[in-house]
Amino acid sequence: MASTMRPVPIDSFPTPTSSTQAETEKVLLQHFPAADSTNATPTLQKNAHMQFLIRNLVQGFPQRYTSQDASQPWLMYWTLQAFSILQVGLDPGNRQKAIDTIMASQHPDGGFGGGPKQAAHLLPTYAAVCVLAIAGKPGPGGGWDEIDRNKMYKFFMSLKQPDGSFLVAHHSEVDVRGIYCLLVTATLLDIITPELVEGTAGFIASCQTYEGGFSSASQPYYAPAPDSDGPPVLLESPRPPLGEAHGGYTFCALASWVMLQPFLPSKSPSQPKINKKSLVRWLVQMQGVPIELGGFKGRTNKLVDGCYSWWVGGAFGLLESIGINPAVVAAEKPDGQAEGDWDDIDDSLLNRKALQEYILYAGQHPAGGLRDKPPKNADSYHTLYCLAGLSSAQHKVFPSPARQKELLDCWIATVDDGDKDTEAKEEALRKRVFTDALSYTEEEGTETIVGGPPNRVNATHPLFNLTITHTEAIMSHFYRQVVPPRIFKRAAAAKT
Amino acid sequence: MIPAPAPPPPVLYSTRPEWSDVEPLQQYEKANPLAPILYSEEYKDATDYLRGIVKAGEKSERVLALTEHVIRLNPAHYSAWQYRYETLLALDAPLDTEVALMDELADKYLKTYQVWHHRRLLLLRRGARAAAAELAFVGRILQRDEKNYHTWAHRQWLLASFNDDVLWGGELDFVDSMMNRDVRNNSAWHHRFFVVFQSGVREGEADRERIVRRELIYVKQNISLAPNNASAWNYLRGVLEYNRLPFSTVAAFVQPYTVLLPEAATDIVDLENPPPGRGAELPCAAAVEFLADVYEEKGGADVQTAVGLWRSLADEHDTIRKKYWEFRIRDALTALQ
Repeated sequence: MASTMRPVPIDSFPTPTSSTQAETEKVLLQHFPAADSTNATPTLQKNAHMQFLIRNLVQGFPQRYTSQDASQPWLMYWTLQAFSILQVGLDPGNRQKAIDTIMASQHPDGGFGGGPKQAAHLLPTYAAVCVLAIAGKPGPGGGWDEIDRNKMYKFFMSLKQPDGSFLVAHHSEVDVRGIYCLLVTATLLDIITPELVEGTAGFIASCQTYEGGFSSASQPYYAPAPDSDGPPVLLESPRPPLGEAHGGYTFCALASWVMLQPFLPSKSPSQPKINKKSLVRWLVQMQGVPIELGGFKGRTNKLVDGCYSWWVGGAFGLLESIGINPAVVAAEKPDGQAEGDWDDIDDSLLNRKALQEYILYAGQHPAGGLRDKPPKNADSYHTLYCLAGLSSAQHKVFPSPARQKELLDCWIATVDDGDKDTEAKEEALRKRVFTDALSYTEEEGTETIVGGPPNRVNATHPLFNLTITHTEAIMSHFYRQVVPPRIFKRAAAAKT
Repeated sequence: MIPAPAPPPPVLYSTRPEWSDVEPLQQYEKANPLAPILYSEEYKDATDYLRGIVKAGEKSERVLALTEHVIRLNPAHYSAWQYRYETLLALDAPLDTEVALMDELADKYLKTYQVWHHRRLLLLRRGARAAAAELAFVGRILQRDEKNYHTWAHRQWLLASFNDDVLWGGELDFVDSMMNRDVRNNSAWHHRFFVVFQSGVREGEADRERIVRRELIYVKQNISLAPNNASAWNYLRGVLEYNRLPFSTVAAFVQPYTVLLPEAATDIVDLENPPPGRGAELPCAAAVEFLADVYEEKGGADVQTAVGLWRSLADEHDTIRKKYWEFRIRDALTALQ
């Protein structure tokens, strides 16, 4: 290993970027154990991380978290979802407290705010609905049936812009994080419609930069309407991305793109497109080299950071949903190629082992909780996204056609036969959204767990970052469906 | 040296007679929340009064003072920003005063979304006359925080939104000044791409062939300066792809970067193909990758050459991405069939 721990080349031309890079390499290298060291097998300190999370939950967040006062549902989501990934559930008393706390942030005009009596905002709306997916239930006091979905839909529509994007809140900015949050919420709660997402895919596509990743937003240009009364016409070009390709925005854009698939006309020539090849290249280029312990960075020439384990590492889990499937390419390889070269169960495009090593060696704070990188402190945000990244590096969760078929076969029609055409179309879309979202299944026999079984964490849904169980429960409630038990195994089916 | 006196403890709104007409509003009306934040007294007091004001719908001068106070304690409090903006409009307050305050706050809290978005709202009201000063302000902030995402995005919005040739005119010089400080600053590279290719055609740049040539020379020279610079290679790829030029256009330039540095430098200066500098650490993985793409693009028997290059990346030059390089090999061989 040591021989491959080469510093990133500076070409005898130091700049601020190469200097901070070199400093980081020095720190990270200290966290990589020598070959003869006793801690050569890394351990996920589950107990210490649990204590860190429980302390915040029960005693409260220290005063420095005042900066998160407008993100209270996030604090709760990061904590509860981290529990889920660590395979821990809440006791009934704290579960009820979580529901009550979150419901206090629902805005009277729809959506959730960053805290009680704060303005509604797309980001805390996502976090609040996810907390309810984890902790909530149907019936009085359970949260689910107290979400005002009609008002939420109106709130969403009130944020819509002519270029297909959404403001994150009234008088606020447009960016793809907000769109991701809106689409997850609308998908989980069965309020996603063609009207809501009209033009949104085109906006997402316009955020892809020449590097292949996605930026925060794009700038629309309009031409005057052909008839002077009409609204201005959005120009297809120019439509420049604002800001460079970035890990967080790229995850949000890619996940949004996947969620929008049921709403894209299949053969229209004007259908928006993304460049998949450059996207994959950008994603793999974000993985740090061995001296960076294989962690991920969020932008070209920036430093690795544990949170991109999920935003970039986790994005690989969505590639199969846009038709990039290394396993299929492997299966089609030409005769005469040496089998041994790539005969390996792990067909992922990222280095799953190295990513886990980064999280285990550098991401864990000795006092509990996870972090950006040493010597930084742990915080709730990094604790969840390091753990979620670890989860996505351990498990391969893919959209299973067989699971989708099971779900389609069990679909309970909610409109009667012979109803109007539009209702049948609506029903078909709901069915597609529901079965697409719940088709994600863990592939049997592909777990890769650095450090062995004690380090295993739960799988998480690659689109929503909720467990599959929580996703199934909340979606079957809102879509009024009964989900069949999971018995399918891809490992067996793929060989046929 | 006399130590600076500690600031006096803040006087709480709840003890100030001029605020006695406002009913403070607690955050949680019911039982104790789960996972509360342990606020300071000052913050709790100020936000209690903000909630009270919002509920009453009051929009007055003192609301500007209160929202400023809350924003200074927590610049990410978007509801305070939102209410402040509505109050400014309701009062028809002088926006230049607001901008002066924002200059201070943007400098202090330059990592928050809200400070930048508030500036944007103000600019939209103040109109094009304010844009040039804004551009200069953004430039000063970028000197201090050279990769600040919000600040770069704000600059790009400003240019695209007002779309005035006077504003665009200085951008390439600005990029150069940033690049001279750090040629590895990806934000500056992205900005260059935004200015040259993605926002319409600038004054004096109608001859696109000339512009592409200029950009290729620019990026090649920067690669020769520091060859292992992913930002520059991505820019090179971007220029070629955007202008639908084959990668083989620059194969002769790339090749010397894929092998060990030659002992004796050649005396012939070829501006089109600047060679690696003396300190270059070669072979450069990004160059090997690029050359493989050139061979893949050619197709036929050349694909085997690409396979050899990918193999060398997987096994030697870029082992962390072994799986990806092997995927590229399989993909290219499958396409050959």
